[in-house]
Amino acid sequence: MINLQKGQKIDLTKTNPNLAKLMVGLGWDATENSGGGGGLLKNLLGGGSKTEIDCDASVLLLNDKGKLAKNENLVYFGNKTSPCGSIRHSGDNITGHGDGDDEQIQVDLNRIPKDVHRLVFVVNIYKCVDRKQHFGMIKNAFIRVVNSANNEELCKFNLSDNYAGKTALIAGEVYRHNNDWKFAALGEATTDPGLEALTRRYL
Amino acid sequence: MISLAKGQKIDLTKTNPGLTKIMVGLGWDTNKYDGGHAFDLDAVAFLVNKDGKADGDGAFIFYNNKQDPSGSVVYSGDNRTGEGVGDDESIKINLTGVPADVDKIAICINIHDADTRSQNFGQVSNAYVRVVNDETGAELMRYDLGEDYSVETGMVAAEIYRHSGEWKFNAVGSGFQGGLASLAATYGLSAS
Repeated sequence: MINLQKGQKIDLTKTNPNLAKLMVGLGWDATENSGGGGGLLKNLLGGGSKTEIDCDASVLLLNDKGKLAKNENLVYFGNKTSPCGSIRHSGDNITGHGDGDDEQIQVDLNRIPKDVHRLVFVVNIYKCVDRKQHFGMIKNAFIRVVNSANNEELCKFNLSDNYAGKTALIAGEVYRHNNDWKFAALGEATTDPGLEALTRRYL
Repeated sequence: MISLAKGQKIDLTKTNPGLTKIMVGLGWDTNKYDGGHAFDLDAVAFLVNKDGKADGDGAFIFYNNKQDPSGSVVYSGDNRTGEGVGDDESIKINLTGVPADVDKIAICINIHDADTRSQNFGQVSNAYVRVVNDETGAELMRYDLGEDYSVETGMVAAEIYRHSGEWKFNAVGSGFQGGLASLAATYGLSAS
């Protein structure tokens, strides 16, 4: 199992020629300050319950020009399976509670169409503007890649940069290189207010 | 057109008696994410004697010293962001003018301020270094820096060295850390 650093790129299928199905897991924890307001007084009066922070993982299936060729190539909680059937989203975790992966995406490498060259895994905060939330309120964000055949964790990237003020994370990508698949630990972040704005970067 | 693999050594002048000029080209794209630092990659060269040392500061070609005293090794100038299509920086070498006491020329690429900016080659889009026969345009070697050196911040791309009266080429391709000061120290120069 390799712990990746930002910018690192590793091979998936060249050293693992039998690798066919992956599970990409994304996870995060809310910090104590996930509330959009209230602050000290609210906590002192026992109001304490922090506003839930709803992070959504999505996958953009991009062509060799880095573009989303059709809307259905965006896999997210409202479109859980890609048209080619190669990508399946596990469903929406609304609170982030629980250890381990908060959302999981199944990838069948052999079913990915020839025109799809990159699978970009992103996380954005649902209703971040209304709720006044940003990734400074999240800790322990990670993306990991597991071999579905034997549950072996191939690599994990802990996103440890300071993402305060940012509302969308471009966590990592699975991409074609020559005739193999590789994984890149991206860990970039933007202030896009929602998935639609984030997706527009790839149109 | 010869395409080299890492670690491969080839003859330059023995089989190409007319070969006199080599161009090293370095290219990359600007940072596509706001809020991060620009990526500033630098091409540098060391003129190394037979003891493996650069003879004085004049033998270190970089943004503050663009030409060696003989004028045979010439650096194009510093591109600090990757703006522009094609090679962003280049070093041209005229083999026939290289002084006799220079035994090899080491060509290196370094990310400026990589440690303070927390950058590595993997984060830089489309970063590459190539070496071209400047007279024919044939590309001898190209390294995709972002793919094969993703966690590195510097690398020794190639060495052009004398061998029995001819020039040969070694596609070294080895990474290094610690910036230009630490690289210069390996060639016997102290940071200034």
